[in-house]
Amino acid sequence: MRVLIVEDDQETADYICTGLAELGHVFEHAADGKTGFLSALDSEFDVMIIDRMLPGLNGLSLVKSIRGEGVGTPVLFLSAMDGINDRVDGLEAGADDYLVKPFAFSELSARLTALARRPPMQTEETRLQLADLEVDLIRHLVTRAGGAIQVQPREFRLLVYLMRNADRVVTRTMLLEGVWDFHFDPRTNVVESHISRLRNKVDKPFDRPLIHTVRGAGYSMHV
Amino acid sequence: MFKLGRMSRRLSLQFAFLYSLLSALVFVGAYWFTNYEVRDWLHDQMDSDRGNLSEVLREEGVDALALSIDVLTRVNFENARIFQLADADGRVLAGNIRRVTGRIENGYFPVENLEIDGEHGDEISGYWITSGPIGPYVLLQGTGNHVIAEVLEALAISLVSGFILIMVLGSFVGVWVGRLTGSRIEVISGTMEVFSRGELTARIPNGDEGGDDLSVVATRINRMLGRLENLIESQVQITNDIAHDLRTPLQRLRQRLERMATRDRVDPNDAHVALEQAEDIINTFNALLRIAQIEAGDRRERFRATDLNDLAVNVFDAFEPSAEQNGQQLRVTTFGQPVTMLADPDLLMQLISNLTENALRHTPKDTVIEIAVSRIDGAPVLTVSDNGPGLRPEDREKVFRRFYRGEKSRTTGGNGLGLSLCKAIAELHHATIHLSDRDPGLRVEINFAKASPPV
Repeated sequence: MRVLIVEDDQETADYICTGLAELGHVFEHAADGKTGFLSALDSEFDVMIIDRMLPGLNGLSLVKSIRGEGVGTPVLFLSAMDGINDRVDGLEAGADDYLVKPFAFSELSARLTALARRPPMQTEETRLQLADLEVDLIRHLVTRAGGAIQVQPREFRLLVYLMRNADRVVTRTMLLEGVWDFHFDPRTNVVESHISRLRNKVDKPFDRPLIHTVRGAGYSMHV
Repeated sequence: MFKLGRMSRRLSLQFAFLYSLLSALVFVGAYWFTNYEVRDWLHDQMDSDRGNLSEVLREEGVDALALSIDVLTRVNFENARIFQLADADGRVLAGNIRRVTGRIENGYFPVENLEIDGEHGDEISGYWITSGPIGPYVLLQGTGNHVIAEVLEALAISLVSGFILIMVLGSFVGVWVGRLTGSRIEVISGTMEVFSRGELTARIPNGDEGGDDLSVVATRINRMLGRLENLIESQVQITNDIAHDLRTPLQRLRQRLERMATRDRVDPNDAHVALEQAEDIINTFNALLRIAQIEAGDRRERFRATDLNDLAVNVFDAFEPSAEQNGQQLRVTTFGQPVTMLADPDLLMQLISNLTENALRHTPKDTVIEIAVSRIDGAPVLTVSDNGPGLRPEDREKVFRRFYRGEKSRTTGGNGLGLSLCKAIAELHHATIHLSDRDPGLRVEINFAKASPPV
């Protein structure tokens, strides 16, 4: 995928660029807001990473300006140490996701992938399918190999989140935010215990597991 | 102080200018009005004289009329009133006007054009005259304009002396008030000077007394200084906390990295542990910053209508499987109706999670932990209680201190910031947080203000 990185700190930019290159992505780096703005208008990207503190034009204004020019490319907002209102400010300015520095590269890459492949506003999906696992979004039914599986509402939400991101890595924090609205890190194994319950219902009775743990990164659903 | 002096001088000058302008306006207005009124009055007097004289003519004849006019001219003070009675052929029959030069018209007539018996009055520069028929004769009447001049002179004298009096008195009062205000302002600026030199307890003395503007300002400044003191102290506290609690993990991380650097090959396990240590340090750092930001109170603008029931259920949902894994029981009791209030849902969720996690972490197997939402006298209440070992009474206040950990929990992880964060979040929501003994177990109660109206 093609990624635009607008980040003034050279070391962070190098860290991100090297990581993206290793994953085989194409990237362009801009070191200040104005250059970033021109690049964003100039060429097509799948996703943009924009730092909050930038010389020239700050990240918030940059996102607003880009959106003002009608560019709808997904934006991941980066900010230094948890400024407590930054997340909401960033999202209100038009960013699609938000990540606080310092971060693990696996977190960044998982979020970028989720953003870049975010399906365009499609007609109401009604069902999701992965191998023989099916989820009926309207009637809230889960079936695998034709047999119904009883899940709790929260497990249903978790399963839907995982299935919508099938074949991609989903991190713990993404799940905490997406499923529980937790914008902080509980020190308890919230995600692990739920995954474990879900596995008992969805995977355990069957030959082929669909929910996989990705070491040091998170989880992934695939065949 | 010097600047202030200049300012008050400028203000006095502006005031003086304004006052002079107003005085001039009043003077012109009064002059015009007085002039008009007095003239009107003079004409009334002359009309009335003419009326009386007509009656004399009608009842007693022309000789009596001439006599009356002569009497009038004789009892005339300062020759201010002049008369001339003439017959149709222009022969003068009576009066003190000898000769008139120029055309006679009703209105003002300069003194040079009139020759009278005796001298013109000192103050008279002209006459207001009217001329009209009285029977077959013509009566010319005039009144000196000195009445108007005298009245206007009196008016001018009183206005000017009033002006001078007010200017002098005003300056005195101004200087006095200025001195008084100046010394109070000096006290205020002195206090701020002292504060800025680092004496954070400095406050303006008597700042909270009296109701005038300066007292209000002093009160506000005192309040601001109090707030600043809190903020600065919280910053200092954070710096100390960081020095105190981040140094050890940083030291450990450093040792590990040092060891890794001397080896030929990096053991991935070593690297993972180092990463985890870094992660812990980051988390602690974030928690500290979060507390500081919440204490600074810049988050209330994010408040929105939030149902406490929903948050409690969400937290219960999140932790229930973990509790089950630990062999503990987690329960939730919601209130029968929505318990809606203005709040920051993210932070309240974190508050409830922290309390729940604390209970999960510090109680043994088979403990029952309950999250409950209720209303007492209409005020929302949230409790997290357990039937575990509880907390010693002497520890109940200490647990809110940053980095404080009970002896037993030293080994059970956590950064010792959870409850200080809870306290900060509760305070942001104007709620009180209270720990009590449940015998056995601990009960944490958050009491929200009743004021939060159901939305």
